[in-house]
Amino acid sequence: MVKGGVSEEQLCKVLYKAIIDGDDAASEKAALDLLGKGYKALDIIKSCMVPAMKVVGDMFARLEIFLPEVMMSADAFEACMKHLGPKILEEERREFIKGKVVIGTIQGDIHDLGKNIVALMLKANGFEVYDLGRDVPVDEFIKKAREVNADIIAVSALLSTSLPYIKDLVKLLNELGLRDRFKLMVGGGAVTREWARKVGVEGYGEDAEEAVRVALKLLGKK
Amino acid sequence: MISFYEILRRTEEGPHIDEREFDLKVVASESRRLVREYDIRFNREEIVTSDDSLADDVFKAGFELALKAGFLTVDSRRVIKLSEEEIKEGLRTAPGELLVGQGADARLLYARKVEDSRYPVIMGGQAGAPIPEEFYYQMAISYMQEPIVDTINNGGLAEVKGIEVRTRSPAEALAAMAELRYLREAARAAGRPGIHLLAGESSVTCIGDLAAQGEEFLRRTDAHLVPVLNDLKTDYDRLTKAFTFKIYGGFNVALVDPVVGGFLGGPEGVAVGFIASYLLSRVIYMSDYYIIHPIHPKYVSTSTPETMWVLNIVGQAMARNSNFILMGDVWTSNGAGSREVFYEIVANTVTNVATGSHPLGVSATNGKYPHASGLETRFMGEVARAAVKLKRSDANEIVKEFLKKYHPERMDRPDVGKPFPELYDMKTITPKGWWLKMYEEARREVMDIGLKLE
Ligand code: B12
Repeated sequence: MVKGGVSEEQLCKVLYKAIIDGDDAASEKAALDLLGKGYKALDIIKSCMVPAMKVVGDMFARLEIFLPEVMMSADAFEACMKHLGPKILEEERREFIKGKVVIGTIQGDIHDLGKNIVALMLKANGFEVYDLGRDVPVDEFIKKAREVNADIIAVSALLSTSLPYIKDLVKLLNELGLRDRFKLMVGGGAVTREWARKVGVEGYGEDAEEAVRVALKLLGKK
Repeated sequence: MISFYEILRRTEEGPHIDEREFDLKVVASESRRLVREYDIRFNREEIVTSDDSLADDVFKAGFELALKAGFLTVDSRRVIKLSEEEIKEGLRTAPGELLVGQGADARLLYARKVEDSRYPVIMGGQAGAPIPEEFYYQMAISYMQEPIVDTINNGGLAEVKGIEVRTRSPAEALAAMAELRYLREAARAAGRPGIHLLAGESSVTCIGDLAAQGEEFLRRTDAHLVPVLNDLKTDYDRLTKAFTFKIYGGFNVALVDPVVGGFLGGPEGVAVGFIASYLLSRVIYMSDYYIIHPIHPKYVSTSTPETMWVLNIVGQAMARNSNFILMGDVWTSNGAGSREVFYEIVANTVTNVATGSHPLGVSATNGKYPHASGLETRFMGEVARAAVKLKRSDANEIVKEFLKKYHPERMDRPDVGKPFPELYDMKTITPKGWWLKMYEEARREVMDIGLKLE
């Protein structure tokens, strides 16, 4: 172990900036160099990378940057995780990963702009996100959630004609005896807070910021 | 123009690309490059712009983007590319005038110019909103009975005979057919049997569209929507809609609604993306007319400074460089029954009419709740007619003046108003006294700033 925190290291600042800039090659190199210098993977992630994603999320919320920039930053983050991920223990992971979320736009619905934004903001705020895309069949959500042992299933629905499929999801989870295993969270233009409550869904978000707040709350985190 | 069969061939044989790569390496990076190269800049002080060269630059950049990108077919991951000649042919052959509707109710839709002094065609209705079956019919009449409303784009049905409509279930077809039956019956009841409909809004895939073609449903003098997927994408479902309706003989309307802050970037990139989408959809969908619908990432509404600037510049770019017929959406955060809905309508409608498009709306609460009625659409029509006398710089002052009345406070906490049955007497289909009074007060406020309403 080297002396002094990794955050005082110049390379940490390089990594931080490379993630904000969405430069995956530079991020990867900086992360590897830091590892080479003997810093712990967990410290690198917590001190250099997570704060960078937080800044990216905030900039997007203020519309100073746009969707592609956030995607590139998330890519850069993931490029580093390829190397750092295997070097940390599962319990260490829990220190910076807020939770695992499986997200998608429900069956028959191809509106995915809002869902993409929510997925990115969750990522930027420390969630591990599995994005299944749009027009996702009900059982696919459950299959993936079981496979990755997710904490939350998040569903986006923009059409009134999508809503029956969310009810199907709740029903199927109940029938499979899995309802208590995953938290459910919904959003998108067709959904209202009252409707979510009525069909027995515990999480609702009006926008991406609320989505993050609610996800944290569902997992008992701040 | 190239045929459907050729388009279809390109969906199978065009260049293959991963969707994410298309989003980032083609759409995002090209739109950014073009915005930089043409030095296109959004200025929130000038929502209605008076700079012709800015509009022309947006058009040129959009043309380049169309040529470079094409439409990605999401099912096959292949790109439908068009040559410069093919895009130009689309421009050359675009109809600058269309007779829509039938008999005494027919109207001439035309390509408006910048600061055009002709009355725009008013398209009324809560476009696309899910409306309960219990009052779908009465609500439709409330629009059709307004003499100032020329054509109709109403909402869809979320339920038929108590059955929830699910995407791709047979209920989707039944809902689209029921929607059209209600609209036809309402048109007769309002004494306007031939009124032009842009409809089939209950049809979220091509199923409803296919079911609802015919004299009693969508006629050949009617239109339906064919959306361009965001951004610069299409799929088999959309192409099925476009091809079959064209062969049937009706009008294809390209719906383009990119979000500000998405792959195309800020308002500038979104404007460029609009032009590219129109040029491509002209050929690929054989579109007859076009909807301008920029989306705000937070408020959705078209009445924000960013989205109105886009409406303005896209309208002008197309009006100066093509004879495409454009409908500019009027989508408000506030609902009917609120005071603020009128303020949003004024700013949004003045922007559209001064810059080359016809107004389409009012989709109050952004089409989320059925909190809408014929009355605020009458108001939109009246403002639109008054706005034909405006120079762009004067329009800009009015827009800014009204914007102050709702932005940002009343966007952050909109007053969503009331559902149709609380706004109108359901037997006589007339606005209730309090709602009519609000409308009259709003008219007075508009007159006070010097806009002369009929
Ligand atoms: C853009 C858009 C489209 C685009 C979508 C492109 C894309 N790739 O997403 C296109 C053109 C493809 C499209 C197509 C259609 N659309 Co559309 N569309 C819209 C529009 C105008 C904006 C949606 C949007 O992107 N908003 C911006 C984003 C940022 O906001 P958002 O999606 O709401 O997401 C935010 C929050 O809701 C929340 N959120 C979202 N998801 C989630 C998930 C969770 C878990 C949480 C917590 C939060 C959350 O956070 C997000 C970020 O802040 C809406 C209007 C509206 N009021 O929503 C209509 C709307 C949804 N569409 C509508 C219709 C009718 C259609 C079509 C049927 C049109 C037609 N006749 O063909 C087709 C259907 C296609 C299909 N099968 O899905 C109707 C739906 C009516 C209904 N029956 O419910 C609406 C309401 C508009 C209207 N009144 O016409 N559409």
